[in-house]
Amino acid sequence: MSLTVDGIEAPAEGTLLDAVLAAGIGLPHLCTDDNLAAIGACRTCLVEADGRIVAACSAPASQFHQVATRGAVVERIRRGVLELTAAMVSPGSLDRPGGPHAGELAAALASHSARLDRYPHRTRTRSDATNTFFSFHEEACILCGRCVAACQELQHIGAIGMAGRGGATRVTPGADATFADSICTSCGSCVAACPTPALSPREAFAP
Amino acid sequence: MTRRVPTTCPYCGVGCGIVLNVDDSGRIAWVDDDPANLSSVGMLCVKGRFGATFVNHPDRLTTPLVRRDGVLQPATWDEALDLVARRLPEYRGRFGSFASAKATNEDAFVQQKFVRLVMGTNNIDHCTRLCHSPSVEAMLQQLGSGATSNSYADFEAAGCVVVIGCDPGSNHPVIASRLRRAIDDRGVRLVVVNPRRIDLCDRAQVFLQPEPGADVALFNGMARAILDAGVEDRDFIASRTEGYAAWEAAVLELTVEQHAALAAVDAGLLREAALLIARPPAPVGHPPAGRPGTCLLWGMGITQHTQGTANAHALINLALLTGHLGHPGAGISPLRGQNNVQGCGDSGCIPDSLPGYQRLDEGNLASFEGAWGASPPAQPGLKATDMIERILAGDIRAMYIVGENPLLSEPNLHHATMAIQALDFLVVQDIFLHETAALADVVLPACSFAEKDGTFTNSERRVQRVRPAIAAVGESRPDWEIICDLARRMAPGAGVARGQFEYASAAGVFDELARLTPFLRGLSHERLDREGGLQWPCPTPGHPGSPVLYAESFPRGRGLFVPVRQGSFADETPDADYALILNTGRVLYHWHGGTLTRRVRGLLARVDTVPVAIHPDDAAPAAISGGDDVTVYSRRGRLRGAAVVTDAVRPGSVFVPFVKLNESAANFLTNNAYDPQSRIPEYKVCAVRIEKGHAARRRDAAATGALRPQGEAAIDHEPVPGHE
Ligand code: SF4
Ligand code: FES
Repeated sequence: MSLTVDGIEAPAEGTLLDAVLAAGIGLPHLCTDDNLAAIGACRTCLVEADGRIVAACSAPASQFHQVATRGAVVERIRRGVLELTAAMVSPGSLDRPGGPHAGELAAALASHSARLDRYPHRTRTRSDATNTFFSFHEEACILCGRCVAACQELQHIGAIGMAGRGGATRVTPGADATFADSICTSCGSCVAACPTPALSPREAFAP
Repeated sequence: MTRRVPTTCPYCGVGCGIVLNVDDSGRIAWVDDDPANLSSVGMLCVKGRFGATFVNHPDRLTTPLVRRDGVLQPATWDEALDLVARRLPEYRGRFGSFASAKATNEDAFVQQKFVRLVMGTNNIDHCTRLCHSPSVEAMLQQLGSGATSNSYADFEAAGCVVVIGCDPGSNHPVIASRLRRAIDDRGVRLVVVNPRRIDLCDRAQVFLQPEPGADVALFNGMARAILDAGVEDRDFIASRTEGYAAWEAAVLELTVEQHAALAAVDAGLLREAALLIARPPAPVGHPPAGRPGTCLLWGMGITQHTQGTANAHALINLALLTGHLGHPGAGISPLRGQNNVQGCGDSGCIPDSLPGYQRLDEGNLASFEGAWGASPPAQPGLKATDMIERILAGDIRAMYIVGENPLLSEPNLHHATMAIQALDFLVVQDIFLHETAALADVVLPACSFAEKDGTFTNSERRVQRVRPAIAAVGESRPDWEIICDLARRMAPGAGVARGQFEYASAAGVFDELARLTPFLRGLSHERLDREGGLQWPCPTPGHPGSPVLYAESFPRGRGLFVPVRQGSFADETPDADYALILNTGRVLYHWHGGTLTRRVRGLLARVDTVPVAIHPDDAAPAAISGGDDVTVYSRRGRLRGAAVVTDAVRPGSVFVPFVKLNESAANFLTNNAYDPQSRIPEYKVCAVRIEKGHAARRRDAAATGALRPQGEAAIDHEPVPGHE
């Protein structure tokens, strides 16, 4: 069984995203962290596989033969997803310094020449600077869920979660709670996972 | 461009993999987790993630210091080392040395070689004396080896884990994460034994909150319950152990109810815990054929008592009785507090054995003489706590202390300070001018973990690489290089070849350690770089390392049951004047005495005064509410802190983490009473009283006679008048 990605042979192990990255090809994957199991929430990793459009992070590589990350259709769909994602954050909020992966959204937008103003921005302004090591600025949050997964599935703490529905959904350490008065242990795994500067280190570690 | 340097966390004994991200200016800009590290599998705690910035703190020592006209003044390396080389030989026979469980295996190996060959004494020890020496003594006697028998991964393969006298959520946070994962995802059952209700109790099936010091009664009671129910492992007892009959007789002297009453726990809960330990249910994904096991994890709550060794015996007896040794998902795990406390002992920094725990017998001495060209001394040396006591007796006149701060870590600090002040000559080698260094005659600046090459060995016996990420701060040098330089100056006078202290690199030092230590013989820096951290024993280059010990037999042959009976709970018990029991422990945001974590802004901001936990029943009569300033007094000193009123502690007791904040530290209160076998001090129990408000502060620079280090406290805690 052979697998090719954009014509390049790739190992048919793990997920299609693993295969794409192993072939040395760039592909956004905003809700997948190398430290965590796939979440499959952001849809920025869409590829065309044997004629279907699938989320690469959640598709087993062994079930496909030909994968294309390029192509008018799949690139347009990804650009659309990215432009919708961009509408979730405030203009300028991605320029702030952040954790090790904070530049992922900005890089994905740039690589797809996505327009940042295609859809009206849904600005959220809450922020939480009560933790002495990091702060949270909701205006840069895209609700990918990596921080929540890091807190729950990696560290098994469960200090933060997604609350609310639809446009009111947000990441929070509990209704009306702050990081400081939550059960957060400040392990920083959420900061390490965040693909934008929403969760960003403070003081000593800020560049 | 950021450089990414994979290395090992410098804090606790979990030994998490960290990746230091170093920016263009050569500073640590971020610390990443390391999913490839098998001990931490991508997890980290707040200290590992955010605590590394102490390495660039302005307080770092940058030049050697020599005391001139009573004041420590900057000196060149040659001046400082020549002075030490000239003075130390006078003290042969009256010399002792503390090694550092924070430094590397390479540092430790070179230091013990220097002390043994050049100073001609086995007076070398390290902080294990203050933490797990009772565990090591008990394991050596009963099994023949003093290390954790299993791996962290076994906590997730076990049917039951028992967390005794430790608070992993504060002190081994990544172990706590792994335990939470085991419980949440695998359905592993948790039993917690602690006089204080710790966070993990939320997930416990059984929580036992015994009277401090009643551990033998508690574990003997569990054993009795197991015998009563007939769920002991008969096959294991018959084929793998000895000494059973005498032990059984001791346990049968009291009923479960009598044992439970002694320990002040509910007999029904004690029985439930015992049966869970003996016959745990299978966790999710357990192979149908195998028998689910139990892992016993313990900390200082077992060891830091005048009967610490008896407590450890009682616990290991329980493992032998239930046969939970030698297979995956089972085992005994003393959780080590410092990053390299396992390795410091492995490398030979203990007074009664050579590297690799090889006894000081003729054969071993001869083989070391073969390697070193001169024999190490045959006479066992003094243990750390005895060295301090023997200073006051006049038997020890000079000390060389590396990476340790006894004037924060010893019990009864007024007493320890008197001892250190009585020395004729003191050399301290460290990264900060802490309380002990401030009293030294010569201070030598060492590199931090981020500046040096070497290895640490964690709590699961995994030897892991430490790699230099930033340039040495100031003129600091790696510990092993400093000691080699000194040793070369002194070697000719000691009849030792200078070449014995000429190593090209840390890898070269490790090679000699591995050559002389059978259980490390298969390891080298090059192999660890290639394969990642490996668990000893690893006797040959092709050996994969050993996740689980004792599958076939114990190093001493059969496991030995050692009968123990509950003795008096503590050396000092509450009375009318000091009516409360002080229990010491940790807080997540600081590490040990706090010499490092006080120099991390975010950690200090999180906890900047010593929290004093007190039960509402005891707070009410003293009119104390949460957040109030309080002063805690013992017969030896006092401590100022802030009250936390909580029913997590037992009525009649007070809990204080032993970090020093605002010049207050629990060890001004603790008792220098010792366990007879291991010589560990009884940090865990002493009698205190508490008052609302902060007693007036009396600063007394004369008490130290030393320069007051910036940002570091001088000793301002006078003994309480009338109790000296
Ligand atoms: S658990 Fe221990 S070794 Fe791991 S990051 Fe925290 S302090 Fe470091
Ligand atoms: S990375 Fe695939 S859906 Fe987010």
